[in-house]
Amino acid sequence: MSDHVSDFLHDAVSAPDLGAEPKDWLALLKPRVVSLVVFTGAIGLVIAPGHINPLLAAIAIFCIALGAGAAGAINMWYDRDIDSIMRRTTTRPIPAGKIKAGGALGFGIVLAVISVLLLAMATNLCAAGVLAFSIFYYAVIYTIWLKRRTPQNIVIGGGAGAFPAVIGWAAVTGHIGLLPMLLFLIVFFWTPPHFWSLSLYASADYEKAGVPMLPVVKGARHTRWNVFIYTLILFPLALSPWFLGLAGRIYGATAFVLGAAFLYFAWGVLRDEQDAKGVSLSKDAPARAAFKFSILYLFLLFAAIAVDRLV
Amino acid sequence: MMAPAQQDEDYAKDRMPRVEIVESHWSDAQKAEFLRRRRARNFLLLAALGGFCLIIYVIAMVKLHEYGQMW
Repeated sequence: MSDHVSDFLHDAVSAPDLGAEPKDWLALLKPRVVSLVVFTGAIGLVIAPGHINPLLAAIAIFCIALGAGAAGAINMWYDRDIDSIMRRTTTRPIPAGKIKAGGALGFGIVLAVISVLLLAMATNLCAAGVLAFSIFYYAVIYTIWLKRRTPQNIVIGGGAGAFPAVIGWAAVTGHIGLLPMLLFLIVFFWTPPHFWSLSLYASADYEKAGVPMLPVVKGARHTRWNVFIYTLILFPLALSPWFLGLAGRIYGATAFVLGAAFLYFAWGVLRDEQDAKGVSLSKDAPARAAFKFSILYLFLLFAAIAVDRLV
Repeated sequence: MMAPAQQDEDYAKDRMPRVEIVESHWSDAQKAEFLRRRRARNFLLLAALGGFCLIIYVIAMVKLHEYGQMW
């Protein structure tokens, strides 16, 4: 046995378990994902007709964030085997050995229960019910059931990210209207081009871990077409709140410009210089640009509907 | 009446055995780090529980003030 290997084994066996730090528990909640969830949830609250006490609104947003974080912790618990294989995720608290798997699961379940109960107390059962379903959707339907079974995993997973606006709306009104459903569909159809643009240049990790991402299973060319088709569907869908009279001109104009720009980027992904298998010869520069723009797209689109409602 | 020395001895027997919270082979730095992390976790838990109570209180106050009832 080489010295390096014996040193490594010695360290691995004798490394003291000093316990996790608070930041490790925080990392279980996927703070970056939660920040987007908070934003869309807050927009749902702002655009909903009716009144909600600002303190209760703040608690509702906190509950949405807590619920999303809980779902993230359960996701990390279930995915700990593949997280230890993929380079991007090896530093997560469970594969890094900072938090035990059972601890992460318990943490996630406790937070999920607390978030739903608090939301029910602060607002209403409709909002709490949708929050509970969104946690179940992400943790069970997406993570446990479908993520490792189908290359359409991201399409289905997009639903999980689409719930916060509906929850925000329901927190104010006590029911689910047409506008939050349209916002749900917008995030739902936005997720595939957003994530598949990323996966075009970051699929090696998923391949190594055996996760059937679209570029791994169907190839890059098929993925490029899917990015374009979903962006094409997204264009009229994002305009629908305007032509159905649920949003004003500010939103309509913003959705049109952003949709046209997103189509331009998706067209760039489709027309990228490729080899026979559709693999990029330009280091996936158009896919990287499309991924970055997709984040800006969603942020500006949701901001526009809030501005439109407030002006 | 029992002698004070006997009383101390009986009391000492009834007490829980002293539990080593850190491993004996750890270095002083590792022991200090362990204690620091545990203290940080305890404070976080305390803050979380305090926050939870505060939120329940705020919800109750706002709902009772605005609607006259919790549900």
